[in-house]
Amino acid sequence: MKYILLMTGMTVGVESYLAWSQKDRDAHMAVLQRITRELTASGEFVATQGLAVPQEAKVVRGEQGGMPVTDGVFPESKEFLLGYWIVDVATPERAYAIAGRISAAPGPGGVPTNVPIEVRGFASYPEVASSSSEEITRGAKRI
Amino acid sequence: MKFILMMTGKMADWDEYMKWSKEDLQRNVTFMRAFSRELKDSGVFVATEGLAAPGEAKIVRAGKDGEPITDGVFPESKEFLAGYWIIDVESPEQAYKIAARASTAPGPGGKPGGMPIEVRQVLSGHADLGL
Repeated sequence: MKYILLMTGMTVGVESYLAWSQKDRDAHMAVLQRITRELTASGEFVATQGLAVPQEAKVVRGEQGGMPVTDGVFPESKEFLLGYWIVDVATPERAYAIAGRISAAPGPGGVPTNVPIEVRGFASYPEVASSSSEEITRGAKRI
Repeated sequence: MKFILMMTGKMADWDEYMKWSKEDLQRNVTFMRAFSRELKDSGVFVATEGLAAPGEAKIVRAGKDGEPITDGVFPESKEFLAGYWIIDVESPEQAYKIAARASTAPGPGGKPGGMPIEVRQVLSGHADLGL
């Protein structure tokens, strides 16, 4: 069963992260890299990706003619995706355990960040039974 | 430059989607299939995923003893990730143009959905944060 573990945060949280000492950041990244190595060794690792800071984020909507309309103003409360891990595990509980370890990675002064990690499965929409599974997954992404 | 194009929706949006007619779903699927093929043909495609409906979503935090603490209650206003594409393009403007096209995917009755697509650069390494 594949799960995606999503790390999200508000702009203010990202700003505070950028103000961490180099030592704190190194300690944090060392733990995250160790988790990735362990998931790779156990065969559970699928993918991971970090996102750029949300200050450059844009929301795009199409208009007539397909010309992009961009907007870069967001409410302070908006949760931005900071990064994700995709894991292939035997049970949801195993995905939660991995998410818990990511949440426990150290922050300033070595205190666990306790950042919330959202755990989600992937789409399968059997109601479009006439399509191939690949098509269904793509169609499901519409929403 | 790699960018991620994200579709998000609230729980109510999923409830609406589940009510779409088979014809509307099929039209949307056809668009998405053609869209992915275009991305691949133009050499910008990196990855795509669709996420399950958020009914089973959990938030996990580390407990004091290291055990995961899960919570599955969310405010109605919460934006859930619905799916994403990762593309490798020459400029942010090219990413916006592709996002605009994704935004025109047909909704009920074949009208363009006008769905907002969040565009973010993805990091090739921690150094990209400028640290």
